[in-house]
Amino acid sequence: MKANDIQELKRQALDEAAAAPTADALEAVRVKYLGRKGLLPDIMTGLKDMDPAERPLAGRYANELKQELGDTLAVRREAIEAAGRAAHRAPFDGTLPGNWRACGSRHPVSQVIEEAVRIFHGLGFTVADGPDLETEWHNFDALNTPADHPSRDVQDTFWLNDKTLLRTQTSPVQIRVMEGRRPPVRIIAPGRCYRRDTTDATHSANFHQIEGLYVDRQVSMADLKGDITHFAREMMGADVKVRFRPHFFPFTEPSVEYDFSCHMCKGAGCRVCKQSGWIEISGAGMVNPRVFANVGYEPEAFTGYAFGMGVERIAMIKFGIEDIRLLYENDVRFLEQFS
Amino acid sequence: MRIPLSWLNDYVSLEGVSPRELADRLTFSGLEIEGIETIGSDYKGCVAAEVTAIRPHPNADKLRLVTVARGAEAPLEVVCGAPNVELGMKVALATIGAVLANGLVIKPAKIRGVPSSGMLCAEDELGLSADHGGLLRLPAEAVPGTPLSKILGPPEAVLVAEVTPNRPDCLSLIGIAREVGALLGRPVKRPSVEAPETGAPAAARIAVAIEDPELCPRYTARLLTGLAVGPSPEWMKKRLQLAGLRAISNVVDITNYVMLECGHPLHAFDLRRVRGERIVVRRARDGEVMKTLDGVERKLGARMLMICDAERPVALAGIMGGEESGIADDTAEVLLESACFQPAGIRWTSKALGLTSESAYRFERGADVLGADWAGRRAAALMAAHAGATIARGSVDAFPTPPRKKRVTLRFSRARDLLGMPLEPAVMTAIFRSLELGLAAADAESVTVEVPTFRVDLAQEVDLIEEVARIHGLDRIPAPAPTARLVPDATDRPVRARLEISRQLAGLGLCEIMNYTFTSDKLLNLFDPGGAAGRVKLPNPISADQTILRPSLIPQLVETLGRNRSRQRAEAALFEAGRVFTLKADGSFAETDMVALGLMGKAGRGVMDRGQAPGEEESFAWLKGLLESVCATLRVPVRRAGGMRLANPVFESAELPWAEPGMGARVLLNGTVCGVAGVLRSSIAREWRITEPVAVAELDAAMLGGHVFDVPASRPIPAYPSVERDVALIVAESVRYEDILQAILKQAPGELRQVRLFDVYRGEHVGPGRKSMACTLTYQSHEKTLTDEEANGYHNSIKAGIASDLQAEIRE
Repeated sequence: MKANDIQELKRQALDEAAAAPTADALEAVRVKYLGRKGLLPDIMTGLKDMDPAERPLAGRYANELKQELGDTLAVRREAIEAAGRAAHRAPFDGTLPGNWRACGSRHPVSQVIEEAVRIFHGLGFTVADGPDLETEWHNFDALNTPADHPSRDVQDTFWLNDKTLLRTQTSPVQIRVMEGRRPPVRIIAPGRCYRRDTTDATHSANFHQIEGLYVDRQVSMADLKGDITHFAREMMGADVKVRFRPHFFPFTEPSVEYDFSCHMCKGAGCRVCKQSGWIEISGAGMVNPRVFANVGYEPEAFTGYAFGMGVERIAMIKFGIEDIRLLYENDVRFLEQFS
Repeated sequence: MRIPLSWLNDYVSLEGVSPRELADRLTFSGLEIEGIETIGSDYKGCVAAEVTAIRPHPNADKLRLVTVARGAEAPLEVVCGAPNVELGMKVALATIGAVLANGLVIKPAKIRGVPSSGMLCAEDELGLSADHGGLLRLPAEAVPGTPLSKILGPPEAVLVAEVTPNRPDCLSLIGIAREVGALLGRPVKRPSVEAPETGAPAAARIAVAIEDPELCPRYTARLLTGLAVGPSPEWMKKRLQLAGLRAISNVVDITNYVMLECGHPLHAFDLRRVRGERIVVRRARDGEVMKTLDGVERKLGARMLMICDAERPVALAGIMGGEESGIADDTAEVLLESACFQPAGIRWTSKALGLTSESAYRFERGADVLGADWAGRRAAALMAAHAGATIARGSVDAFPTPPRKKRVTLRFSRARDLLGMPLEPAVMTAIFRSLELGLAAADAESVTVEVPTFRVDLAQEVDLIEEVARIHGLDRIPAPAPTARLVPDATDRPVRARLEISRQLAGLGLCEIMNYTFTSDKLLNLFDPGGAAGRVKLPNPISADQTILRPSLIPQLVETLGRNRSRQRAEAALFEAGRVFTLKADGSFAETDMVALGLMGKAGRGVMDRGQAPGEEESFAWLKGLLESVCATLRVPVRRAGGMRLANPVFESAELPWAEPGMGARVLLNGTVCGVAGVLRSSIAREWRITEPVAVAELDAAMLGGHVFDVPASRPIPAYPSVERDVALIVAESVRYEDILQAILKQAPGELRQVRLFDVYRGEHVGPGRKSMACTLTYQSHEKTLTDEEANGYHNSIKAGIASDLQAEIRE
């Protein structure tokens, strides 16, 4: 016998194993080749009579035969057995509906807050918190709001008594944080705010803001622009642009308003951006030195930026929600869309 | 503020700048342009025409057939429905082929069977205004056939600006021209105020006394005589109309025109009605009344500043004139007021009376105290030119304390640092010069600016830096990639722990909701009829159902379940994380962060498990399992008893006002009450027609999240196999699972690892009033493999203990 004959025998054995229709037929193949009186033991015995030059190759082929045939027999055996099991039970229906508990969902407002926290955490901001029931000092005075500013009116603000009000903005958290520690300060403060607005499609008497504050030596307007732009891209999409317009707020100077380019239409004009390609987001600016003076920071030594943004507004534009009331209606059919 | 560009062009050249470009430049320098309006059009195909005949329409009562002459061309007959058409009237005719402002193309048409060869136009059709009340009446001298554009002029662009409250100087065309001049680098021209003062000296006839110089720092009065009240010239009427004001008469229009021009409100009194020809500026006396120009009788208070004559009030200072002293058709002599009032005082009075005006709007933001004289001169010159007035010589100028001009220094390096960009000193000083800020001193490091009185907003160095930023352009400030910087000692774990609770609850399959902080006694009383004393009430609520700051999240959570149920959601698993408010006995307020969960109907089942509705125990068990799971994921440490791990939290039976009797519990974490849980009273559930069991819990978020940042300590995994033994016992219905557990624990060796209930059975085999409960107990040693004998020994003593403690029958 030649080495090539062993190769030929292997091909033949593998074919027979693969084609065996039943477990019995498969066993017959095994016995024929690997059984005690089978062909392989014969070959092994015949090796010693072979041409010594061909013997190592023939030996290798014989081992391959044994190995590969063993593997093929095992695979074929499992296939025959599985077919047998399947024949003994009702047909398996993998198209039945999945059966696990319903998946939960976070409220769109919470999702925006979580996302903002994540983005600013990456920049080293920590999350700060303050009470909903605030003092006039923290909500207005310390923020350089003029004594007769209309926002202090009972028409606009919910007063609980002479001293206590429901905060109209998250900015008082700035004051509380600065009163509690020395610079550097790098915080964001998400929270609920309250204004005596009549509820309509875009106004709600309670709403959420996210405040941001960064105070250190040498904080600049360029830092503000860079950080807000980073936030916009992370929150709304990598190709979103930001533009800044000068504005006026008592607690920042210079003050700006900023707009995001519309993430829906990429600036071409659509329903979400009212055809303008831009969406007005919120206000920001460099902390007014008078605010620093109010919290005992040296206005000469420190500079800082602050921003505030309406969470509902961002949620509405991000998810394409047309009416703010949907966010407080708590219709599960609506909320489930955000799971 | 409406800015007609043809008018603005008087003060600064707008040549080569489109309205859109101008609007953008202004918006991005801080004067937000909200809209650009185009008034009128090119009136293509429209001509002046004269109505020469009117006859009824044969088929319509409200339509008429109007014949119009149009000069050289043949007269036309058109169908017209306007109520004001009359013979001899000069009208605007749109001929066939004309394109109207709204895009309408005029074509030959039959209206109710009669052909019409054109259309007579109202103001809205010509794009002049929204008025559709009748045909536009052209001036009587309009020549029929003249193209309409020759009569009405070219279309006008008007920018609508939103002026921030710190910039009253931009409530005037000259103020805006100054901004435009700075932005475009073009000079600003002011109109001349020179006019011959040919009358007798004003001071010889009229007098002014300021009794409250704090509220009125300056009052100048001029005297104009021999004038004739009549209509203003057309150009002035048109400008006022474009700016949004109604033309009244030449004298009144001129005061308004000058106010729009320079921002300084003026008032003209009929001198006949100023008793004693003397002005006294004083506060109102309590009980004084005056009828303002709008015809309303106003009750005055002692904080209100009045302009009075020798006897009584003639005007509400800076807000509105009195009706009696106003300009009449036969007014011939005018006392012209150009004064200055304290902004806070105007704001207070305006609000107290609920009365606002163009004048009050400007004064409460701050008028230019040095600009008062210029405004008076300008108005006098216009009255001489357009009302035939003789100007008295000089003025009476009560100006007790002229202000010192403010000086503010800007350090160039500070500006560069704050803006975060390089800027040449020359660029900055050029910006100040272009804004008409006087340069008092300058050196290599800084410049000192003398702030003109019209810029009430400039007081600090940062205000000047803002001027640099906005004129130079915010878009030129770089926006570098952020630099992450850590503040090592700042911690935010409590806030992040609260966020983690919500994350875990959503992960466990609950849907997060958000309700308003405001709620009502009506809703709260359903859940806690005795709780009114601890509620925080709003003194000024928006509506009757939003009067209370919620003391609990549960009522609105249940309301939400009910609302969803009415929308065919008979099952729901919801949670809310939010703040609640209570009024403490000492009158102070407390606010606490809470988390509430609610399960309705089959919420605890798999999606496919549509068996019968769950019982109350099953619902409560889901809620409890949920709380146990969330506590585990929030790393609340387990309780240990001997070798056993027991669930934390612990539920302690308690009656709750909103829970079905016997189905409420206090929830304890580490031995401290952390909240409540229970099955909702069916009487409350019925309010929303909920018939399925509802299980609700509310927990303190700080306590629940108090272990989020704990680090779990690893323990060795047991090296030896465990042995399981079952026990089934029949006990009275009154015996609770907890009693069985306690009886087991009493006897338990250190080798008992776990007790797991796997069956509760009631029925024939156990008899009435009794139930069978079966548990698997797991034993395991840390030292060796337990033998059967050892396990049986432990198990038998436990069984014996239960049997005697609980009068239980042990089933073998």
